[in-house]
Amino acid sequence: MVEVRLDAMLKEFASRTSLRSEAATVGGLLDELERQFPRLRFKLRDETGAIRPYVRVFVDGEDTSRSSGTRTSLSGARSVEILHSIAGG
Amino acid sequence: MAERKVRVLVGTRKGTYIVESDTRRKSWKVGPVASAGRDVFHVTADPRHPGTLYAAVNSGFWGPILYRSPNWGRSWKEVATPLTPPSPERKPDPSENPPRPVVNLWHIAPGHPSEPKTLFAGVDPHMLFRSDDSGASWAPVRAINEHPTKSRWFPGAGGPCLHTVLIDPRDRRRMYVGISAAGTFRSDDAGEHWRPVNQKVHAPFLPDPYPELGQCVHHVALDAANPEIAYRQDHGGIYVNRRGMDGNWDRIGRVRGSPKDDFGFCVAAAPALPGSAFFVPLTGEARTTPSGGLQVWQWTDAGRRWRTLMPPKRFPGDFGVQREGLSADALDPAGLYVGTTTGQLILSPDTGRTWRQVPYQFPGIHSVEATV
Repeated sequence: MVEVRLDAMLKEFASRTSLRSEAATVGGLLDELERQFPRLRFKLRDETGAIRPYVRVFVDGEDTSRSSGTRTSLSGARSVEILHSIAGG
Repeated sequence: MAERKVRVLVGTRKGTYIVESDTRRKSWKVGPVASAGRDVFHVTADPRHPGTLYAAVNSGFWGPILYRSPNWGRSWKEVATPLTPPSPERKPDPSENPPRPVVNLWHIAPGHPSEPKTLFAGVDPHMLFRSDDSGASWAPVRAINEHPTKSRWFPGAGGPCLHTVLIDPRDRRRMYVGISAAGTFRSDDAGEHWRPVNQKVHAPFLPDPYPELGQCVHHVALDAANPEIAYRQDHGGIYVNRRGMDGNWDRIGRVRGSPKDDFGFCVAAAPALPGSAFFVPLTGEARTTPSGGLQVWQWTDAGRRWRTLMPPKRFPGDFGVQREGLSADALDPAGLYVGTTTGQLILSPDTGRTWRQVPYQFPGIHSVEATV
């Protein structure tokens, strides 16, 4: 079971920003979140399935965009944080 | 009877604003921002459903989102967003590019009055979508999205966007779209077939300076009384066409009395002034207003005449105005509204006799639309 924390800016699309999941991979977790919060669909991933460029998924503090992305295993992981990267102005 | 309100719908780099006045258009009230912090490319009213507004909101983080308000912007709700359709079931061709997602929503157009639930959306990359259920679902208009000429389209500096959608008010089957940098296209069968309509529009950046397509059209407006007349602000100049965009475009930006530089982005027509159009010419290099001040030009087609509407240096500075940054209302005298990229909303309640600035510093303005 992994602790999941969503970026506070996602409150418009998800009724909770802290939850738990038994998803096996990051991709599975995103599928689960989109089922639970339909308005999250296409906000974290675009319609081709790619994670949006300014969305970052951290597993136990490691940025998955630098490794296996949505294929990242959550087996043994303690925490997942889905945040927006610092950008814009 | 309640007095009519004039509302200016303002899309900015950091949200949606609704600015209200009465028909005197002397003092204005700025409403609270919606979609704060997000890039709102276009806000439009649906004249078939008074009070209904649509906002094309683009977030660098969460992607494009279409919102609808039923009550003049007091509240907003997300509706379905047009998205790249999945690839058809076929053997993948390794030479083809993978499908691109919708990056930005550029323009929302209500459909013909005879189809009260129809909407159109122009997006980046270069696609048109249609909804027949007021935005609850969208379908790609494949005939333009997969046009046989598409391999010859370029992206413009703002991206490969379909930014202009025009429906002939006399005939729902006649439509036009403007695409950067592909040009304008016309359909006579409600989008089932499209043909380029860019004859004699200059494309200085192409080997053939007058090609069939590839021009970087910036915006087009249909004449308010005679939709056979179209006014075009193109990268390659200012034009008018008087035959439903068929045949040659007439470069009015080069006639006697025209602006020194006929580059620009925006164009607007006013219901109270058929046969006229309004432009904000910019220098081609800096893409700001020339001569140290904001200026709006009026073209009167019957007399083939240009005139400036602002006293020189009424608003000194170097301003940028984007393709949806100019609007005219439906009153008589026509009100004119200019939104600048530096966040000024400047207006005239009397077609240019007098001008004032709404005393509010907006974020950079993408679009203004005046509705009564």
